[in-house]
Amino acid sequence: MKRATHNLKRWIATLASSLFVLGLSACGIDQKGMVLLKDESYHARIFSTNKDGIGAPDGLWWRQGKLFIADEGGSALRVWSANGGVQTLCDAKLGVMSPEDAVMDADGNLFFSDDDAGGVWQITANGHASLLAGKDKGLLSTEAIALAPSGEILVGDGLKHQVFSVSRAGDVSVFLGSGYGIRKPESMVFDEVGNLYIADNEEQIVYRLTPEMKLQRLLEKRENFSPETLWYAHGTLFITDSSNGKLYRFTPEEGLQTIAVFGGKLATVNGLTMDEQGSIYVSVQTDLKRKIGYILKLEREPQP
Amino acid sequence: MTTNMLLVFLAGFSATLTNISDALFQLCNSIAGRSQLLDTLIALPMTNQLVKAAVIGGCFFAAWHGTQDEAITHRRRRILLITLIACVFVIATTKTLSKTVFLPRPFIQSQKAFHLEGEQLVESKRLAYRVPLDKDSQTDYQKLRDGDILPNDLGSFPSDHAGFYVTLAVGIWLASRWIGTLALAWTFLAILGSRVITGQHSPLDILAGAGIGIVILLLCQVVIGTGFRRWLEPLVHWTMRHTALSSALLFVALFEAANTLQNLRELLKTGATIAKHLIRG
Repeated sequence: MKRATHNLKRWIATLASSLFVLGLSACGIDQKGMVLLKDESYHARIFSTNKDGIGAPDGLWWRQGKLFIADEGGSALRVWSANGGVQTLCDAKLGVMSPEDAVMDADGNLFFSDDDAGGVWQITANGHASLLAGKDKGLLSTEAIALAPSGEILVGDGLKHQVFSVSRAGDVSVFLGSGYGIRKPESMVFDEVGNLYIADNEEQIVYRLTPEMKLQRLLEKRENFSPETLWYAHGTLFITDSSNGKLYRFTPEEGLQTIAVFGGKLATVNGLTMDEQGSIYVSVQTDLKRKIGYILKLEREPQP
Repeated sequence: MTTNMLLVFLAGFSATLTNISDALFQLCNSIAGRSQLLDTLIALPMTNQLVKAAVIGGCFFAAWHGTQDEAITHRRRRILLITLIACVFVIATTKTLSKTVFLPRPFIQSQKAFHLEGEQLVESKRLAYRVPLDKDSQTDYQKLRDGDILPNDLGSFPSDHAGFYVTLAVGIWLASRWIGTLALAWTFLAILGSRVITGQHSPLDILAGAGIGIVILLLCQVVIGTGFRRWLEPLVHWTMRHTALSSALLFVALFEAANTLQNLRELLKTGATIAKHLIRG
């Protein structure tokens, strides 16, 4: 009798806990992903998902109604347009492994980096894709990429802790040697007067290199700050932080200000670009290995 | 068909539950932001361990030693020892769930935010929030305004404090009704009430945490109390024979338990670092 009572108690307890766990999982209160807007002049929406044909995107580049996507998880360089949707420009068949960041010149030639395959890759305006300069030229793990006013391509290497200059013919030279102390040049962007901003997301520093080649530490020693991608527009430096799920703006007058905080499935914000209307596009790598990601668009709220 | 109906029912149930929780939260939070003295008193159990943990620790000790009757003491100690074991399971469950379930704290839900619903970002309902006037709440809110949000603040469901302290309080109540009632009252009115009023947790977070705590505690009482009795009984007998030593050990266990195992977790992390260092050389 005593044993039967014990067994009954055990069954009741098991049933109660199972029901409770079932209730929790089915309740649907798990929001899973969030964008919190500190700048309330914006609103957020999903721009693209895996259903559109992207994997886990990293670098973004907007040009005249087209969004170029360095799809790190999908090992491909893709382009989105309103009419054509998402199309692949080149992928692993060419040897591309983990496209990181992209930049486009005025003629419509696209250049991108790859931190696994290394090198600088190009897709010409007529769509021909090739490796411009590879690992054999010392570009082992390329991350940041920017186009210098001279037309040369600057590319940061995370393994060699250097920034290289690559000519259109594929010749490689050192632009900033390891003596400058930049550990992981993750992203680079020029402003309108020729200052080059460099994000080091190992030392968590944003540098500014003046046209006179003076390297200044613009942002450093900040708690919970890890710069991932930089974008410059309208006198403002925009910064994503993948470690802390944030999008910042920086001006010398107002300092560093948070535009948005990303949480849950949307926390790992990577790439960043802006269209002609000032809308911000950010890429999110929810799960790089499983190729799950999003592209979000932050648009200005319509003025009343 | 049946599955769809069940899903629709659960979605409706979830929405109703959330609405009730939000209304209750706003009722509780309406106390805040009116008097600095009152808000400072309300916020005290959030930071002051003497106010938060020591009272529950004291109740536990009182239940442990509170009677001269040997049979009653024996029964109480069995229940209380199982309660301590249950606390470990509760904290593991609530911590795991809060990392899996993404639900920001109510004070964060007062901001303009969008959340994922399927493949869409939908603007979240903003909770009206009165900022308490105590120093810590003001600092936290200023940080929020600056966009400085801790990852811990994005996973408030379920409340691990609710799980942990309700487990302890119900365990004490099972051992001794009078002392347990005091512990339960303190847990809900002071420890958990302050968390709702200041916007750290919604009533739903508290309800879920408390529910997990009670279920795990009862499960442990049944399973360990019956299935592991041959290990438990000698332990209880040992505490009766070695009162001083067992009280000292209990003090250590309670000290840690009342701090929601924070120091133990740090100690385990340090241990893991040392082990890694030794293995890798």
